Amino acid sequence: MSSPATPSALTTYAAVVRKEFRQTLRDRRIMFMLIAAPLIQTILFGFAVDFDVDRVPTALADLDRSAASREQARRLLADGTLRHELDVRSAGEADQVLDDGRAAAAIVIPPGFSGDLAAGRSARVQALIDGTDPVRAGAAASAIARFFASAAEDAVRDRLAALGRAPPPLVEVAPRVLHNPRLKTAVYIVPGILAMLLVVVTTIVTAMGLSREREMGTLEQVLVTPIRPFVLLSGKMTPFVLVGFLDVVLALAAMTWIFDVPVRGPLPALALGAVLYLCSTLGVGLLVSTISSTQQQSFLGGFLFIIPAALLSGIMTPIQAMPAWLRAVTWANPLRFFAEIARGVLLRGAGFADLWVQLTVLFVYGALILGLATARFRTQIG
Amino acid sequence: MRARPARLAIRIGAMSAKEVLHIVRDPRTLVLAFVMPVVMLLLFGYGVSFDLDHLPLAVADADRTPASRALVDAFTRAGEFDLVERIAPEDAEDLFRRGRAFAALVVRPGYGRDLARGGRAEAALLVDGADSASASQVLQKADAIARAESLRRAAAAGALAAPPVEVRTWTRYNPEGRSAVFMVPGLTVYLMALGAVLLTALTVAGEWERGSMEQLFASPVGRIDIILGKLLPYLGLGLVQLLLVVAVGATAFDVPVRGSLPLLFAVGLAFLAGMLGQGLLISVVTKNQLVATQAGTLSSLLPSLLLSGMLFPIENMPRALQVLSRIIPARYFVHALRGILLKGSGAAELWPDLLALAIFAVGILAVATARFQRRIA
Repeated sequence: MSSPATPSALTTYAAVVRKEFRQTLRDRRIMFMLIAAPLIQTILFGFAVDFDVDRVPTALADLDRSAASREQARRLLADGTLRHELDVRSAGEADQVLDDGRAAAAIVIPPGFSGDLAAGRSARVQALIDGTDPVRAGAAASAIARFFASAAEDAVRDRLAALGRAPPPLVEVAPRVLHNPRLKTAVYIVPGILAMLLVVVTTIVTAMGLSREREMGTLEQVLVTPIRPFVLLSGKMTPFVLVGFLDVVLALAAMTWIFDVPVRGPLPALALGAVLYLCSTLGVGLLVSTISSTQQQSFLGGFLFIIPAALLSGIMTPIQAMPAWLRAVTWANPLRFFAEIARGVLLRGAGFADLWVQLTVLFVYGALILGLATARFRTQIG
Repeated sequence: MRARPARLAIRIGAMSAKEVLHIVRDPRTLVLAFVMPVVMLLLFGYGVSFDLDHLPLAVADADRTPASRALVDAFTRAGEFDLVERIAPEDAEDLFRRGRAFAALVVRPGYGRDLARGGRAEAALLVDGADSASASQVLQKADAIARAESLRRAAAAGALAAPPVEVRTWTRYNPEGRSAVFMVPGLTVYLMALGAVLLTALTVAGEWERGSMEQLFASPVGRIDIILGKLLPYLGLGLVQLLLVVAVGATAFDVPVRGSLPLLFAVGLAFLAGMLGQGLLISVVTKNQLVATQAGTLSSLLPSLLLSGMLFPIENMPRALQVLSRIIPARYFVHALRGILLKGSGAAELWPDLLALAIFAVGILAVATARFQRRIA
């Protein structure tokens, strides 16, 4: 009847979207951090993060000084995990260089090594490892153990051959690595990083943006207009979903060009995952803003969500390595599921049929959190 | 004359008291500063790690002999791998796509026969390499298991007496390889950077944004009073945080404190001063809380996490990032903390770190103060 007084939901929605876009585009600095910052970070992360343990600086104390000890040491240090950093003259000095950080591992070949080996006695070797970084220490220890185990096998073979006996049976497990045969870290970590950056940008920006309006009193002005809360919130979120989506596209381009991340699966699956994920993270931002009255509180609230969420996402450390109770907690974490979708589609060629669990969880999570945020928002203004 | 320093102290004290009120009134700051570190420590100590066991393994045993069953048993017996599914060899990739298995052991017909002849018997292991770090662990474990199985068979065949080469490995500083011990120094740095840079940037930018900074200028407090009054509470917060993390690490996870506590305090103070200066500079330049938080994240949190050596060894980075890491204060702080806590290093070893931190702090505080002044005029 009175058409100018009650505009349709669609008209008001479009008006809110337009207003939000203008407000966001006007501030160049905000545009920069919404679009350029995530891209820069993705690239920086891709170059900096490397879980491959190689070039562990190693000190060598060859106290035997025989042809056999030199040959063993040379082959051990040539295998790539260890890097020959310096020579020391005693076990005590090896201790010292580990203390002052000049080396992270030390190999001590005691006098008599070649004599023992030739006489058929057990030849001893000592390895000292700086255990500060457990991952690096584990890789160094395992490289050393592997090397001497195969040296031992060779020695057994030689002795048996000298005795004229047949070689012992040998079990060999030949590995074939799929999806990422050269085991490059960047290929796996960069799609995960994208999930982490999106949550930082979208959650914090939404939470702080709404609190800012509340602080300045402009939110109340909008609320006295006939716009319904649900329409207002969806209109406010739309530009950020679009910006987040743009981030995904840009990051994807950077990933494939700079880090050779493959795209093996259907992109629509990834796109759907991204939209559902953005709805979840924006929903968290909205929810945080409804329990905050200032921007500072919103920021802190957002961070209180982001830090544990990033830690328990499986992005940096495998979920499989967590105890069962903590694995259960990760089911409530949207980061985990988007990271799985991104990695599944890009690296493993997974499609809708393989990822329906992750997509469903994200959908349920997004619907729940947005519903909760809208309900809280409505009671606050009511 | 005698009253001047006293009056200065009163003015700074009043500014600080106001800031402390802000902090106390919103418990979130305190939660972020004091509860979060403990939660993160507990997570790293009890849950989050890189060490994998019970890796889901699929098995395709087409040989079905006692020998092939013994090999499968060797993989699953020690708890390194769990048999999740018996499959046909061609189904392995499908299982990887759905994330049901990390690796698949494929034993061809003839494995048992080859072994019985006393020769070389080969089984294949398909590994999902997408997660490179986990895949390397799978490869290491599989290699060790195959060697052990060879050795067991050789010993059973009577071919082996004493092992010809024996390696004794000592791991120093963190012999059990606990992630918590490694993470405590890094985590401390991360959380202190978070608190110092972002909270300072937010609180000062907030004053500009709300216009209350102008009110402060109208009052008799000077520039230095405002800066010191604003920064001191966060300096205190950071130092308490440092002690808290070290104390929790020491009591809950036996993270050692082998070096001197005063040195730890001095290094922490120098690092915090630099981070506070950075936060101040960001807030003066941006004068907007939203932009300040993102600038703070980009300029301090991210480098602290990535380029400090806290998680990823600096020597593995590309040359350009190694050079860049030299201007990141967190790098020096992580190195000094690890030295003091784990290795018992003293001032003789760590003075370059302390010097670098001090130079950064003095430099950035000077720049921030200068910028602050220009805005008043």
